[in-house]
Amino acid sequence: MDILQMSGITKAFFGVTVLDKVDFSVRKGEVHALLGENGAGKSTLMNILAGVYTRDAGKIIFDGQEMDHVTVQSSEQAGIAFVHQELNLFNDLKVYENIFLRKELLTKVGTLDKKRMIAQTHELFRELGVDIDPTAMVSELETSKKQLLEIAKALHANAKLLILDEPTTALNNKEIEHLFGIVRHLQESGKSFIFISHKMTEIFTIANRYTVLRNGQMIRSGEIAEITPTEVTKLMVGNSYSDSDIYTPRELGDPILELENYSGHGFENVNLSIRRGEVVGFTGLKGAGVSELMQTIFGVMPEAGGSCKVMGQAVTGNRIHKAMRNRIAMIAANRKENSILPDFTLLENNYVSEHTLSAKKPLIRKKMERQKFERLRGMLNIRCNGDGDLITSLSGGNQQKVILARWLNTEADILLMDNPTQGIDVGAKSEIYKLILQLAQNGKTILVNTLEIPELQKVADRCVVFYHGNIQSVLRHEEISEERVMLAATNAINAGEGAVGQ
Amino acid sequence: MNTTKRNNRSITKILGNYSFVLIFACILIAYLIINAGATTLNGVMNILRHSAVVGIMAFGMGLVIITGGIDLSVGSMLSLIGGIGVVVFNSMNSIILTLLAVLAVGALLGFFNGILIGKVKMPPFIVTLATMLIYRSVAQYYLRTLRLSIYNMDGTLSAYDPFYKFGQYKVAGLIPMAGVILILVTVLMVFMSTNTKFGRSIYAIGSNERAARLAGINVEWTQVAVYTITGLLCGVSTFMWLAMNGSVDPATIGKSNEMYAIAAVVIGGISMSGGKGKLLGVLFGAMSYTIIDKIIASMGLDALINDTIKGSILLLAVFIQIAIPAIRAKFTRSR
Repeated sequence: MDILQMSGITKAFFGVTVLDKVDFSVRKGEVHALLGENGAGKSTLMNILAGVYTRDAGKIIFDGQEMDHVTVQSSEQAGIAFVHQELNLFNDLKVYENIFLRKELLTKVGTLDKKRMIAQTHELFRELGVDIDPTAMVSELETSKKQLLEIAKALHANAKLLILDEPTTALNNKEIEHLFGIVRHLQESGKSFIFISHKMTEIFTIANRYTVLRNGQMIRSGEIAEITPTEVTKLMVGNSYSDSDIYTPRELGDPILELENYSGHGFENVNLSIRRGEVVGFTGLKGAGVSELMQTIFGVMPEAGGSCKVMGQAVTGNRIHKAMRNRIAMIAANRKENSILPDFTLLENNYVSEHTLSAKKPLIRKKMERQKFERLRGMLNIRCNGDGDLITSLSGGNQQKVILARWLNTEADILLMDNPTQGIDVGAKSEIYKLILQLAQNGKTILVNTLEIPELQKVADRCVVFYHGNIQSVLRHEEISEERVMLAATNAINAGEGAVGQ
Repeated sequence: MNTTKRNNRSITKILGNYSFVLIFACILIAYLIINAGATTLNGVMNILRHSAVVGIMAFGMGLVIITGGIDLSVGSMLSLIGGIGVVVFNSMNSIILTLLAVLAVGALLGFFNGILIGKVKMPPFIVTLATMLIYRSVAQYYLRTLRLSIYNMDGTLSAYDPFYKFGQYKVAGLIPMAGVILILVTVLMVFMSTNTKFGRSIYAIGSNERAARLAGINVEWTQVAVYTITGLLCGVSTFMWLAMNGSVDPATIGKSNEMYAIAAVVIGGISMSGGKGKLLGVLFGAMSYTIIDKIIASMGLDALINDTIKGSILLLAVFIQIAIPAIRAKFTRSR
């Protein structure tokens, strides 16, 4: 029996169709894996179910009732609980206060009946097999406990269907086991789950059935037992091809960046030798550790072990300035928070980093700075009225080029690019990738962290795939394909043989 | 057609950026009208002299606010630096040593603020609120242990006369010494903030601290430096105070000066959220407040009305800064 039937769901944002007549159903008491690449439409579908977005067309039947106008409240009342990736808990309230929020129990005189609420919370946790102190502050709980608290909260609200959106991203293997134990236990008592994850190991451990979405369309639905991880990955990726015509093999120089057993927050034992002029693509799922690796090399985050050598010289002591002296530059992810100086002009945004290196000459020579910017502006094809424009007046792609110019201005040899095409339109994206190749041609060494594998296919000499903080595999340029990368990034390679993950 | 549109916009833009000149001009004209016949060139020049103490420290406040911080302790620093300055003068009988002492003590007090804010990462408001209480209290307590009621410079010392004369000296018989120092500090500060790499890094921190750090700027030490400079400028203020007045009452000297300094900075067009504004505005902000004092005096009003007018001017200044860009945005949209 189906607890949820969604049929013909269609949704468009600003004229762009993101869901095209999608059918999706969940049986009572099953764990249903919802699969697809980033942008396939999973979140949109779930947000329609949870009442965050309204559908343009289609029908939803939940628990025998047709749901016409779904709002967040009506969806919650019907028994659908969305356990978000970024948890929706109030950190400054206690555990039981979170569970009883807006449903507080009162004593006869109208004050809060804390005793009863705490006792009921105890009871709820005991049934679930969760070990959390009801009176603890949520801010003091570990992420895994918060996840379980969120589930407990949903159950307390009588949820019949729980949507788990990548619930294991922040958990270690033992915590994942515990979570799965609880899911199985609830499954037996008739609760249903929609499980969104990119990790094949987990999907093949916990799910009963699957549905694959691609580009807003339902591709296939079926029993997990009747499919392999490799087949699932193929379904997710599709036959998308990429033209790799801009790539040409180049002569590479001597090793310039060598990592030996390099460890830090979120990654460990990374061994890599990167040669001058090489373009190395890094990829991995969210939380796989690539961004952390880059930040540690650049001195933003502390290193935990191993060594990082630049041109044979060990770089020790985590200091951004030290990394810069070693001719390393980093174009950080989240341009707005981490790169843009919103009150500064293009010229000022351009010279700010170089000035920390040349601080011994304290005066600004405007004419020279102008010439430098003019040269970079021509080289990177930055479209603007003049160097006195505020950087916030430019488009995302041009802003990113100014940030790139900022670092080229420091004459860095090694460029770490963390998700450089974030929030940039397609045209500017391909321009940035062309620039990457052009810079490599001129002897710059470039490390790019991106989830966009077709882009990597165009530029990378090698592709390093991370899984859970470790290098999963290193692919040569000819070996890079969306399928192979996804197989490695989701750990499907190991999942197929029934091996326990990681 | 196109050019008129552009001109219009740039006029409102200039008004927005240089609103401090507008406010200053209005207040000055009001003063000249009210004072009518009694206005002398000397009287106008005295505006500079009476703006010096608050004005000089307000430049430090300006730097601090540009980084996104605040320094509430500047008034109290005046008290402690002044007390120590008098003690050093009386025991050393030397102007130079007194100057060095007030500069060193000022820098040290500012450095203490800076370390707690920049390195320990304590909130600037709390740190300087605490040191505001501490610095003045120390000055008052020490005085009590000396069994005195005010710090008085010893008039019988040989260095006293030249020091006092320095304080009253007028360059070319016209511009008061304190005014000259104020102008010097203005030139130095405006130059530093616009033409040096250090100056721009101060703005960068206030604009986006995280991005500034990731761009390689040493945010921690820049913050320490900015609070230290503020202390140093308080030292300069104190030195001028000593030269002009010869004594320090630690209970009243510099009282509310932190508020006047903040007001001067805000009237000068520097954004309280940091990263934006011109230091030149601080000079005009400080002078605007001095003129208000003079207007009240020449109108024979009760001095207690003083802060009502100053507060109103502050509200008006911020109103103009907020309202003009909003009106401008409305205009550009409707076209």
